[in-house]
Amino acid sequence: MGQERFADIVERFTQGYYGDRDGGGAEFTRQWQEELDRQRRRFANLARMVTSPPEPKTGQTPRQEVYRKNKSRLYRYESRRTHAIPLLFVPNLGISRPYIFDLLPRSSFIEHMTNAGFDFYLLDWGVFGPEDNDLTVEDCVTRILPRMASKVLETSGASQLSMLGYCMGAPISAAFLAAYPEVPVKNFVNMAGPIDFSKVGLFGLWLDKKYFDVHRFVDTLGTVPADMVKAGFKLLRPTMDISTGLNLWWNLWNDAYLEGFNALNKWANEYVAFPGEFFRQWVADFYQDNKLFRGELRFGGRPVRLGAISCSLFVVGAQEDYIAPPECVRALMDVVSSREKEYIELPGGHISLIAGRGASTHCWPRVSGWLAPRS
Amino acid sequence: MADSTTQQMFDLWKRQLDESTQAWARLMTETSASPPPDAGAFWRPIVDQGLQTWARVAAQAPMTPDVMTQWKQLMDQAIEAWSRALGQVMGTDAFAQVLGRTLDQFLVTGGPLKKAADQSMEAALQALNLPSRGQVTDVAKQIIGLEERVDGVEDALGAIMRRLNDISRTLAGQPERAGASEESR
Repeated sequence: MGQERFADIVERFTQGYYGDRDGGGAEFTRQWQEELDRQRRRFANLARMVTSPPEPKTGQTPRQEVYRKNKSRLYRYESRRTHAIPLLFVPNLGISRPYIFDLLPRSSFIEHMTNAGFDFYLLDWGVFGPEDNDLTVEDCVTRILPRMASKVLETSGASQLSMLGYCMGAPISAAFLAAYPEVPVKNFVNMAGPIDFSKVGLFGLWLDKKYFDVHRFVDTLGTVPADMVKAGFKLLRPTMDISTGLNLWWNLWNDAYLEGFNALNKWANEYVAFPGEFFRQWVADFYQDNKLFRGELRFGGRPVRLGAISCSLFVVGAQEDYIAPPECVRALMDVVSSREKEYIELPGGHISLIAGRGASTHCWPRVSGWLAPRS
Repeated sequence: MADSTTQQMFDLWKRQLDESTQAWARLMTETSASPPPDAGAFWRPIVDQGLQTWARVAAQAPMTPDVMTQWKQLMDQAIEAWSRALGQVMGTDAFAQVLGRTLDQFLVTGGPLKKAADQSMEAALQALNLPSRGQVTDVAKQIIGLEERVDGVEDALGAIMRRLNDISRTLAGQPERAGASEESR
């Protein structure tokens, strides 16, 4: 039966090829020629990728290192600086490298913000080794962030600053703002940062105390290796690699797509380890006990109550975000005491807020548009 | 025509995957012993439906390169359906429990192995008069601690400088104020 069907297909195909004599045949031939040309380019690009893998030039926006503390770096990017209030961008610690925010020219969040005239500072937490295993979330909030904020004020000469937290950087920034209300932060943007960890989806379930013993995990492994972090994220979306491979094959003929793919793929496969104690506190206090949202954290002897945040607030959630589902991001709106606050939910997933064509059209202009009149 | 047939095929795929998801979810959550699933019975309807619909599509119109687009759409929808199906299974307590147990097993077996490997490596390096990883890490920790102290000193100096500036500003303002009050008298 299978062979018979295949014969039918071949017959129909040849009839279609030769059967039309009123000009449609030429169009038909052209369509197939185009398709064959695409196939040829697919194979040529595939051969190039295999024989000489490209090294994408990421992070090209000019910048200057203004401060360093252990592995962490504070970078200031060149811009026209038309806005008076500088912006400190706090990304995730561990998991991945921050060059995703400055991936390629014309597809870079940082380039977008600097073109919009923001005095943009990026906190790069760095890649931690076993010597940093004692670093905790509390250290980040009480020892690294205050210093970075003061360096931003010092080097910019401004009296106030804005903070933008992405992913894990948002709850860390929120904890900092809550513990240090005296720091002159005028605006805070939470992009896809989980706040209410009782609504955090699959990670919340897998890391539940009933199933995951974080203390045994950290005591055994010390540093949480990058491969382990990778395995966790791959498990979250097991079909992602198949889908990526299929889309790559489909677009392999397109050189522009390939350039973006190579850069994004480099980032997506470069995982970063967690310092052991950081991971312990992150999982136990945030995921398992939801202490940030409940106001039960104390960092550096100071209470961490989100209600102490009173600056202007902009929260951005992504509809299909499976790392930080929109409901756990949106939760910040209900606990702060800010009088001016706004929440938007954009299409796409966690990464599509900061990379890709959708981000540059749907997300970045909204963020810069909200910040500009307040800066 | 071809589009509607393709849509029918997608619908059949989706229905089949939804049913299989439920079957897998039941399998994961069932505690009592149940007969093993027939893998052939699971795949056969999907493959048959796919082949039949494909043949029907091909028989209805000349094959243009659009068939590639249809194939891509079919694959995208199938992957999405699988992703949703796996997501449903992975979102169960049973899956979280299995995952937790697997990780525990890994730690129980891997932990002592890692410790033994670390100890023997340290002994070997010591015999060769070379620093071990732990010793290098300790040195790095001391440097980090030193940097922290320097930062503390820098902070304290900054605070002293700010205080001195405040005092000097206050002192510089005092004669002016004194002069002004003399004049007003």
